[in-house]
Amino acid sequence: MLNVDINSVSIVDEVTSKVILQKIKFDIEKGRVYTILGKNGTGKSTLIKSLTALLPSELYKVSGNVLFEGTDLLNASEEKLREIRRNNIRYVFQDAPNSFDPLKKVSYYFDLSNISPLKIEELLIYFSLPSYKKLSALHSYELSGGMAQRLLIVLALLANPDILILDEPTSGVDYAVMNLILLKMKNFVRDNDKSVLIVTQDINFALKSSDQIAYLSDGRLTKFFTPDKLLNSPDDKLKIFINSFKDVSNASA
Amino acid sequence: MSAMPPLKVENISYSVEIKEEKKRQFDILKNVSFEVEQGEIIGICGESGGGKSTLAKVISGLIKPDSGKIILDSKFEKEKRRSSPIQILFQNHGEVLNPFRKVHTIIDEALNISGSEEIKIEKDRENILNSVGFPKELYNRRGFELSGGEQQRAALARLLAVKPILLILDEPFSAQDVESQLNLVKLFKQLNKEFNLTMICISHDLRILRNLSNRVLILKDGEVVESGITKEVFDNPQKDYTKFLLSAESLELTYEEIKTPLKN
Repeated sequence: MLNVDINSVSIVDEVTSKVILQKIKFDIEKGRVYTILGKNGTGKSTLIKSLTALLPSELYKVSGNVLFEGTDLLNASEEKLREIRRNNIRYVFQDAPNSFDPLKKVSYYFDLSNISPLKIEELLIYFSLPSYKKLSALHSYELSGGMAQRLLIVLALLANPDILILDEPTSGVDYAVMNLILLKMKNFVRDNDKSVLIVTQDINFALKSSDQIAYLSDGRLTKFFTPDKLLNSPDDKLKIFINSFKDVSNASA
Repeated sequence: MSAMPPLKVENISYSVEIKEEKKRQFDILKNVSFEVEQGEIIGICGESGGGKSTLAKVISGLIKPDSGKIILDSKFEKEKRRSSPIQILFQNHGEVLNPFRKVHTIIDEALNISGSEEIKIEKDRENILNSVGFPKELYNRRGFELSGGEQQRAALARLLAVKPILLILDEPFSAQDVESQLNLVKLFKQLNKEFNLTMICISHDLRILRNLSNRVLILKDGEVVESGITKEVFDNPQKDYTKFLLSAESLELTYEEIKTPLKN
């Protein structure tokens, strides 16, 4: 459904250019949850933004192809891209509160979705959010960080996209809510034949939620593995990463 | 007779009014009591919205509780200090560090406050930044020129420089990758040993508290539902809510299993 073949993503100015990502090649199929794992600062967010040409072109140079159902996203018109980002490929970014227009009430976003309040209420209840009526009257700055994030997921799901992309969905979220998000993602993918792409540093969540996991480090992405295979990967950097996760529970000073 | 604990928290309650809902009272903390022993690390865990950060702010004196007392050992009360004996490492440490000042001036200022002698300041500064693993080549950087992890270490060094009796860590591990989390756990344990520093660590990450803290308090809707030696509480939880938290960690609960305790 989505075929990614990016040669490189670089930051450029008048004189210099620095390569951040290179040889990023993978396909997203229907009915699966994919996760790209990586440490902080490895370019995970940059990677997902590059997929639908969201990186500002005066700062970034992206070379390669990203095909969505045959449309080349890196050469598509801004109008076409907006349509795809609205209907087909939806993002839930990391800093949820800043993804809203602070001058608009939540009702504005509910209305945009064109979905009946009853249906929206179902999702709000699912994610333990306040009622449709209560939320509608609020501005985004009146929501806590965790609420804003769950609301963003609800809004993204309402658009019923083909691909849902989540950036660090578990940061600042407790286990109960993490568990809710995980179940919803699995159902969304299975019941509707959709796909989810997650980027995160949370190994535990990745292992429990994903069908396929790849590891990003030093600007390069490994192949996608099943969770079992990932744990037994011979890649040295990946081993260090996985072992730190295991060691947190028993390390001494 | 055993020594007086450095800090006693007695029957703390705190509530806010919600204006929109006809001045309904909303209790954030209800009768929270516990003692902190010298040199121990206490973990406080519970779900988001359980009152963890509010408790930290009450203990450090940033919020005045409606009722209850925070009692500091009288020997510390008598000390002439120019800074609070209880320091917090906030969750948003990046915003706490002045982005336009250089790390060495930030630390020197704190050392000055705690009464370091002028001739020793350079050495004290190096000791303290060394102890948190902050690299020497970054001393001249300003707050905004540091990564999130470096900012956190610089903020921690500044807190240590005023020689606190109690250090509160508010969700220090969120937004860190596993390698940084592991380094931080090692660092906190080492600081605890090196300075016999008493700490309270707030985190929803049970995996980390299991290793880091000697005792834990489980907080739900502003109440301590269970407390004790970490290993005992985690290996043999008595209360349903603690059992729920420990099982939620597996991320293998069904929708009904997650929702039941959320409703109660």
